[in-house]
Amino acid sequence: MTPASNAILLVGHPNVGKSVLFHRLTGAYVNVSNYPGTTVEVTRASARFDREAVLLDTPGVLALPSRSDDERATVRALLEEDTRCLVQVGDAKNLRRTLTLTALLADLGVPLVLALNMHDEAAARGVTVDIPALAEELGIPVLATVATGGNGVAELAGCLPDARVPQAMLHYDSEFEADIAITAAAITRLAPHPYLAARGLAILFLGGDPEVAAWLAARAGERFAELETLRQQAAERAEGDLPTLLARERTEAADALSASVIQRALRSSPLLSQRIGQYVVHPLWGIPILLGVLYLVYQFVGVFGATVLVGLLEKDLFEGILNPAFTDFVTAAVNVPWITEVLVGQYGLWTMGMTYALALILPIVTTFFFAFGILEDSGYLPRLTVIANRLFALIGLNGRAVLPMVLGLGCVTMATLTTRILHSPRERMITIFLLALAIPCSAQLGVVLGMLGGVSFTAVLIWTLAMVLVLLLSGFLAARLIPGRRIPLVTELPPMRLPIVGNVLKKTGGRLKWYLVEVIPLFLLGTFIMFVLDKSGALPAIIEAGEPLVSGWLGLPREASAAFVMGFLRRDFGATGLFAMAHTLSPVQAVVGMITITLFIPCFASLMMMVKEQGVKVALGMVAVIVPFAFLIGGLFNIALRALWMPA
Amino acid sequence: MSPKHGARLPLAFIPPGTEVRLAGFGDEIDALQREQLTAYGLAESRPLKVLQQRPMTVILADEVELALEHAVARHIWVEREPGAE
Repeated sequence: MTPASNAILLVGHPNVGKSVLFHRLTGAYVNVSNYPGTTVEVTRASARFDREAVLLDTPGVLALPSRSDDERATVRALLEEDTRCLVQVGDAKNLRRTLTLTALLADLGVPLVLALNMHDEAAARGVTVDIPALAEELGIPVLATVATGGNGVAELAGCLPDARVPQAMLHYDSEFEADIAITAAAITRLAPHPYLAARGLAILFLGGDPEVAAWLAARAGERFAELETLRQQAAERAEGDLPTLLARERTEAADALSASVIQRALRSSPLLSQRIGQYVVHPLWGIPILLGVLYLVYQFVGVFGATVLVGLLEKDLFEGILNPAFTDFVTAAVNVPWITEVLVGQYGLWTMGMTYALALILPIVTTFFFAFGILEDSGYLPRLTVIANRLFALIGLNGRAVLPMVLGLGCVTMATLTTRILHSPRERMITIFLLALAIPCSAQLGVVLGMLGGVSFTAVLIWTLAMVLVLLLSGFLAARLIPGRRIPLVTELPPMRLPIVGNVLKKTGGRLKWYLVEVIPLFLLGTFIMFVLDKSGALPAIIEAGEPLVSGWLGLPREASAAFVMGFLRRDFGATGLFAMAHTLSPVQAVVGMITITLFIPCFASLMMMVKEQGVKVALGMVAVIVPFAFLIGGLFNIALRALWMPA
Repeated sequence: MSPKHGARLPLAFIPPGTEVRLAGFGDEIDALQREQLTAYGLAESRPLKVLQQRPMTVILADEVELALEHAVARHIWVEREPGAE
């Protein structure tokens, strides 16, 4: 992508509200959540207030110099974009941490505006920031904002032309200053940046930033060795780890400045939101609360969405009114029989493709995305990392992996991308494998809940236990086969908040749009492929070839083979195929079918994302394990359930 | 950095509700994790409050709640605030 001219970069720590502010300033939708790591790539859109300006939402940085993938993405944006100014979005209730980043950004020599966001939460905690004093100390515009409510956003847009290069917040120890000056001079000579100050680049480079090192190496060529020598000499002179020592001095400077502009009122008791947050991760109450939350989600998505709404849409609207009317219209208007069949036949684009997409999937994903949005914005999901940590330790991961896993219940493709929040390649590989294997996306989950909910609660429970068992077993094996060590969990727990319904609806709408744009063409394509396979005689042949596996091993009706063929395109398409034949299945067949199709090959879009994140070889290797494994587990459950639960 | 006996205790041993001051990181915490903890606002002599110890150590530092696994909290050395229980 070519660098944007007049770029305005939103930078800041994770979970400080950059993406909400981005939405307010551009109108563009970004997947926003109340947990760190939502934004894993730089997103850009035209600014509402200035059509010539392009706003960039960068991933949150815990600290600079960069260490994680998202921090590297932010540094790349700083290095490569033609930046007009930076907007640092900071957490008003944690000014010290905000200013630690400001101390580094100030040395980059780029005009800056500081938006102290979540001002309402700071005030609720008795934290008051003397904003005019802070603006004077830094020499830049500083504003209080509450992005979720839109407070201060217009003022922020209005003061962007006043952005200034901040005054330096600190002078490092004199020996460090000497090293910084020598390195900055060498950068100016060997690889000058068009607008970033050499001093800031020198600090990042001496701090071990890999992106800055790569950028300098590309510009300086063979003479990069000179810079590398300077870095080594500085590291040898330092009494301790140089990046840590530099970071500590920035922290001390931030501490001093924040102490001079902040006032804290004494509070006698914690806020209600803090109390709720503590109960949610309480060793005794955490698990019952989790079960209660899961039950409510099940009632809303599995019962209300997948049963009530699907019933209204599929039975009453589509089968009762729309499909007969459309079939009559097409039959009367089109005289070519095969075209009629393409549109309204057994594998018709309307009667199968659009009916599946709109009558079966739409109500399910809508209710799921809404419930998920509520959980995200409440701050509950990061607390799940604490509850899940011990369980995830069994599979060589830490609780942080629960976030992509839970996101995977929304969309596995999106979740595969967010595995970048994990700290090691090993954690990412294990998590992507487990996502591809045992995490059903919202559409599939809804279909599963809708179908098995109609059978019995026991059926839902067996399916859930099967998924957890497979997840733990395969994770346990993967953790032992993939070399590397487990990283202990250290994570921030954002405040519990009352979700704003308008924001949740906007987010649900954005996700639905994204989902339908992806799902409808694929459902139509899938239906057309099924039509061609049927008419060419291939589908009956596949059904016959698959009979020993599908009917013999899995104990399903022979027609279920068609669902697995559909599942190659999208798992939820396949699951919907089974859902459509639910009335012909026994309870055991319904459970076995759903277990197998859930474990089956991930959808085409997720597969592409797996290739993007892990490479072709690893992605295909995963698929080669997953497909036979799905049938193996399905067959074993068929045998076990017939013996222990009820005969088919 | 090694603990000075008597005055310093591992964060993982501090009862919930206690206010302490961070004294230092143990050598077991590698440079990368030390940077991460510093970025979260954990620096020497900073005050923090222990909120709970199970299933993980949860602390409040500068109005930010952090959850740390015991494997990490065991190697963070703290001193009790003067006058604290």
